[in-house]
Amino acid sequence: MKVLLVEDNERVSRFVVKGLREAGHAVDHVENGRDGLFHAASETYDAIVMDRMLPGQIDGLGIIETLRSSGNRTPILILSALSSVDERIKGLRSGGDDYLTKPFAFGELLARLDALVRRTQGEDHGATHLAVGDLQMDLRSRKVARGSRAITLQPREFQLLEYLMRHVGQVVTRTMLLENVWDYHFDPQTNIIDVHISNLRQKIENPGETPLVKTVRGAGYMMTAE
Amino acid sequence: MLTKVTRSSALTLAISYVALGVVALGLFALPLWYAWEVTIEDGRIQLIREDVQRFTEVFERRGDLGLAEFIEQRVSLQIAGERILLLTDPAFRPMAGNLPAWPREVTSGSGVYGTATLDLAGQATRVGLVRTVLPGGYNLLVGRDLSRLSPLTTRFWEGLGVSVTVLIGVGLFGGWLVRRAVLSGIDHVSRSVTAIVHGDLSHRLPFGADGGEFDTLSITINRMFDQIEQLVHGVRNVSNSIAHDLRTPLAELRSRLEEIVVTRPPPEETFDEVAAAVEDVDRVIGIFNALLRLAEIDAGARRSGFVEVNPAELAARAAEFYRPAAEIKGIALDFADQAGAAAISGDPLLLSQAVSNLIDNAVKFTPANGHIRVEAAVLSDHTVEISVGDDGPGVPDEEKQRVIERFYRGDASRGGTPGVGLGLTLVSAIARLHGGRLDLADNHPGLKARMILGGEAVSLS
Repeated sequence: MKVLLVEDNERVSRFVVKGLREAGHAVDHVENGRDGLFHAASETYDAIVMDRMLPGQIDGLGIIETLRSSGNRTPILILSALSSVDERIKGLRSGGDDYLTKPFAFGELLARLDALVRRTQGEDHGATHLAVGDLQMDLRSRKVARGSRAITLQPREFQLLEYLMRHVGQVVTRTMLLENVWDYHFDPQTNIIDVHISNLRQKIENPGETPLVKTVRGAGYMMTAE
Repeated sequence: MLTKVTRSSALTLAISYVALGVVALGLFALPLWYAWEVTIEDGRIQLIREDVQRFTEVFERRGDLGLAEFIEQRVSLQIAGERILLLTDPAFRPMAGNLPAWPREVTSGSGVYGTATLDLAGQATRVGLVRTVLPGGYNLLVGRDLSRLSPLTTRFWEGLGVSVTVLIGVGLFGGWLVRRAVLSGIDHVSRSVTAIVHGDLSHRLPFGADGGEFDTLSITINRMFDQIEQLVHGVRNVSNSIAHDLRTPLAELRSRLEEIVVTRPPPEETFDEVAAAVEDVDRVIGIFNALLRLAEIDAGARRSGFVEVNPAELAARAAEFYRPAAEIKGIALDFADQAGAAAISGDPLLLSQAVSNLIDNAVKFTPANGHIRVEAAVLSDHTVEISVGDDGPGVPDEEKQRVIERFYRGDASRGGTPGVGLGLTLVSAIARLHGGRLDLADNHPGLKARMILGGEAVSLS
């Protein structure tokens, strides 16, 4: 995919540009608000990574507001050192699609960017049925089965599995799971998510069955059929 | 500066009181004086009318000459001037009396009381007069000298003047006394406060047991000093703790990186070391995030984001979130709902974090085969409680307050557990933001952390 990075910090930019290119994406990088707005408005991108505090007359939120008011719907991930809950809400209200606080792990940025792009590229949210390999999920009757074996899940386990299945082939980070499955926007310190995933694995992966949930080192988890 | 302001305000107060006293005295004297004047005047008119009555009777019985003779008789018996008497014929020629001629000033009609200033024995005298026209056109003038009573009036005013003078004197003296008392009290407080500010913050103002204004002031100031001391102490502690807590991961990070530079290990090993270095950095970031969150809560900025929250549901979710982790350690984690549908106004995100912190702590400190009980309960119309009880080692009473302070980590008994030592501080701050507090109680055995949410921030529905 084609990504625009608007970021004035040289080190952060180099790190993000390199990482995104290694992940196979095309990246345009600009260092100030004016150029950012110009590029974002004149070219077509799959996603924009936007720093909040920028030199050049217009800041990140200003660019986002301008883009949104002119009908530009490109998914935008806000990067910011402003970490308070209120700042986060302000960022999302201005029209940003996700908010990542600096400092961040690159895996987190990549995973969120992937999720953002998939979400806006015509995900079928109206679907009533999800399938990964021989794992089937009926969203209406809330039933899960692996092949012919019915699996009983707690409501939260069901939500966790649904989230993983909706993001099949994508890396989802622990933070993404915390935010989207539990709606917790803080770091619970202990790696509780790993325990939940491990419990889920025990239910959906019997001995001899293909593992479906893979651990991605340094990033999070990924659900795959292979 | 303080003394000057007080001096002028004490003086102003005294003067105001004196002025008020004078006005009150005036308000008291004026009606009195008026009533007195009216009574005297009424009495005088009455007397004159009685005289007129008598003379008229004499005139009717004995004719004009008889009355003239009667008048002459009276005049010769009297002290001149006290009573003015004059009888004239219709042409105003004097027939009898103690006035040499009909005074020109008197032109009033018959029977009307009036006053005039007449020349009596070479002296201008204020008199009250009644002119009576007798049958046949004779004129009778009966009057009384008003100046005879003027010494009384003078004395009345003199008396009033003395009263006012005494009042002003006493008032100013009293004001001076009060000022001296106030000043000495304020000076005392001011000197003590200055001494405390320049010296040891742990000193306090002395105060008596009689609960006077200055004692109340001293007690209030002492309370302020308590707060200041606590804050200063807290800031000092926090700076120390931050420095200390950050130094450990930073030191590890430094040695790790330096070791790579010095030993130049093979790539695989280098990457492992770098990954570990990233973890060290994450720990530092975690500390900063917790501190920022704490500052944000302490500033009270989050209250704007309050919505209706169901504490039971919130606690149940947190309990469910931690249950798998507890089970791995062999701990039974139950949730007991005593609050039902009670709702409070609060920040769901912060409350979730607070409950999570409490459960996280409990899971960390409870040994295998232990029990953790999360409970939500309604305490009263305006208070709900979310409590987390465990049967772990608990916290000794003398440490209960300190574990809530920033960066405190239970020592030996709780061992080298992970965390940044801000968990309970955060819970306490969140409880305070919701008009409540964090209470650490004994669970016999273990610890029962009760987060009490209440006060104005809470409305149960």
